[in-house]
Amino acid sequence: MKSISLKPKFLDQLSSFRPSPRFVHWVDLAGQWAAPIMIFIVLIVAAIFAPAFYNPSNLRTVGIQVAVLGIVTVGQTLVLLTRSIDMSVSAVLALGAVIVVQTEAGNSIVISLLQALAVAALIGLANGFLIAKRQVPPFVATFGMLVFVGGARLAYTKGQASGTVPELLRAISIEPLGPIPAALVVWLVVNVLVIFTLRYTRFGRWVYAVGGNPGAARYAGINVDWVLIVAHIVCSVLAILGGLLLSGYIGYVDLRLGADYNMNSIAAAVVGGTTFTGGRGNMFGTAAGVALLIMLLNLVVVLGLSIHWQYAMQGAVLVLATALQGFRQFLLSR
Amino acid sequence: MAVTYERAGVDAASRSHRWATFVRNNGSILLIYTFILLLAGTASIFSDTFLTPFNLVNILRQSIVLGLFAIGQTAVLLTGGMDISVEMVARVVGLVVATLFAAYGSDPSLILPLAVLGIGIGVVLGGINGLLITQTHAVPFIITFGTFFILRGINLAISTTPIRGIPDPYLRLYDAKIGIVPVNVIVMALIWVAVWLFFTRMRPGRNIYAVGGSERVARLAAIRINWTLLSAYVISSGFSALAGLFLLARTGVGDPNAADGMTFQSIVAAAVGGISLYGGKGSIIGTLGGVLLLTLLSNVFNLMQINIFYQQLLLGVIVLIAVAAYKSKSPRSV
Repeated sequence: MKSISLKPKFLDQLSSFRPSPRFVHWVDLAGQWAAPIMIFIVLIVAAIFAPAFYNPSNLRTVGIQVAVLGIVTVGQTLVLLTRSIDMSVSAVLALGAVIVVQTEAGNSIVISLLQALAVAALIGLANGFLIAKRQVPPFVATFGMLVFVGGARLAYTKGQASGTVPELLRAISIEPLGPIPAALVVWLVVNVLVIFTLRYTRFGRWVYAVGGNPGAARYAGINVDWVLIVAHIVCSVLAILGGLLLSGYIGYVDLRLGADYNMNSIAAAVVGGTTFTGGRGNMFGTAAGVALLIMLLNLVVVLGLSIHWQYAMQGAVLVLATALQGFRQFLLSR
Repeated sequence: MAVTYERAGVDAASRSHRWATFVRNNGSILLIYTFILLLAGTASIFSDTFLTPFNLVNILRQSIVLGLFAIGQTAVLLTGGMDISVEMVARVVGLVVATLFAAYGSDPSLILPLAVLGIGIGVVLGGINGLLITQTHAVPFIITFGTFFILRGINLAISTTPIRGIPDPYLRLYDAKIGIVPVNVIVMALIWVAVWLFFTRMRPGRNIYAVGGSERVARLAAIRINWTLLSAYVISSGFSALAGLFLLARTGVGDPNAADGMTFQSIVAAAVGGISLYGGKGSIIGTLGGVLLLTLLSNVFNLMQINIFYQQLLLGVIVLIAVAAYKSKSPRSV
């Protein structure tokens, strides 16, 4: 049957085009290797146009920022691998900073650290429960959690920035450990633990199975709900860990702390080759995505552009990466 | 006689059956209007000022901005997508129009061309969103999240301080009244009726439902999928642009922080009103209920003089309860 199309011609061509296998192959490769290649290009561009990028103090700043975003993004990637998403990381991250900063003078910091971790685990449990047991769309459940946790923080602090960041956190975040900042070491440890878990334990394989095909995973006897809930708990705990490092690095806690971490963690994971349809992606790609995003944002500053262009940069990276991964997924599924 | 008796019986039976079906099909709508009546009843007992004509008209007037956003959001949600960029579209339209007014010395003859230009910007931005989503097959809410950030950067690049210089006739549009009822409330009522007709009686509106319900079936019914998706995003951004122009008249300045939080509120209003987040289900009448409920809530909060910080927490609690009550048999997706 021939229908009269009112669409512009180019739309017709795009939606009915048949890609050659070679084209599919290249798009797949591009999706996997986009981040490392772009890092290479950015390093060269920086060397030519912004040599100040290579100042030791600037590199140290980049290192600490990579560590904070990297830890949060490891959790986000884990959740994305199970075909879920966590929009509440920024609120959790800020809440952790508030809890630790508002430690009473006589109390031990260890107790407030444990409190923060416990609260994070509870939030993750609630997220996982809503998504796995109540079948709420992950975006909606965690977005609701974002509003709730953000509101709880506002009601708790009355909107004021107060308290002091404990010395221990300051030390962990900014003291150098040999040639590199201690925060980067924390990031490396987290990465090693998670990569080992994903590669060599049963739970790690379950994560990929649940994300790749939840139905098949269920038939294979995997407790899908449990895997989802654990992934969300780990994500929230890592988010609060990132928040602690961030407050140690900045030295104060205010209302806007960590507001961009939702977007940046998702963008970094997707740039690194993780797809929204679950089961595809790994922590090496995520690390590359984090490094690329932080370097680009840093370049905006080093080049002396208005700080507002950071937002446009984040958005452009997210749109391009999502478009590339979406297109790759679409081609691979045909 | 017997025949008529039997007929009457059948009619009575079918009538009660019809009522049961109506209640079953429109449960969420009945529920939300019951909530509105309950809330209004409680408020009128506890507050003397609530039931005055002035306050009631005021509530209707306050609901206009959220209503415009929610109509656009409903169109996108019905396709199974989500438009995060709405508040930034409104902001960019407001800022561009205000800048042009200021640049040409607040010339009143520019009102109509600039209003058309504002809507045009909205339509173009919606078209970009729609093209990105239909042509790359990427996840809608991430793409629009990305454009949200790009537009945020552009907004801050245009101005970080309020822009003055809106001509007086434009501002007077907001205060125009027929008797006690402002003209903008009447216009908004007409818009709601027009949108209801669009979604229930017109082919493009029905196509949106069809695509959201089942893309495969819609394709078999020879509905142009991409065209319909594109139209939904254009509607969404178009109404956001309208909201931006309205906000410009209300505040009297081009505000770089205008419409803050409207994206989330519009999604909540539609979802509370029974629009399925998986697409294809729900009625615009439910969205109207959601908009009225949210506006009523903030009005009651203000009359009871609840601290703004606790308002945020209460909103979070309401959202979480609504989310937790959400139970769907549809497959899980981001």
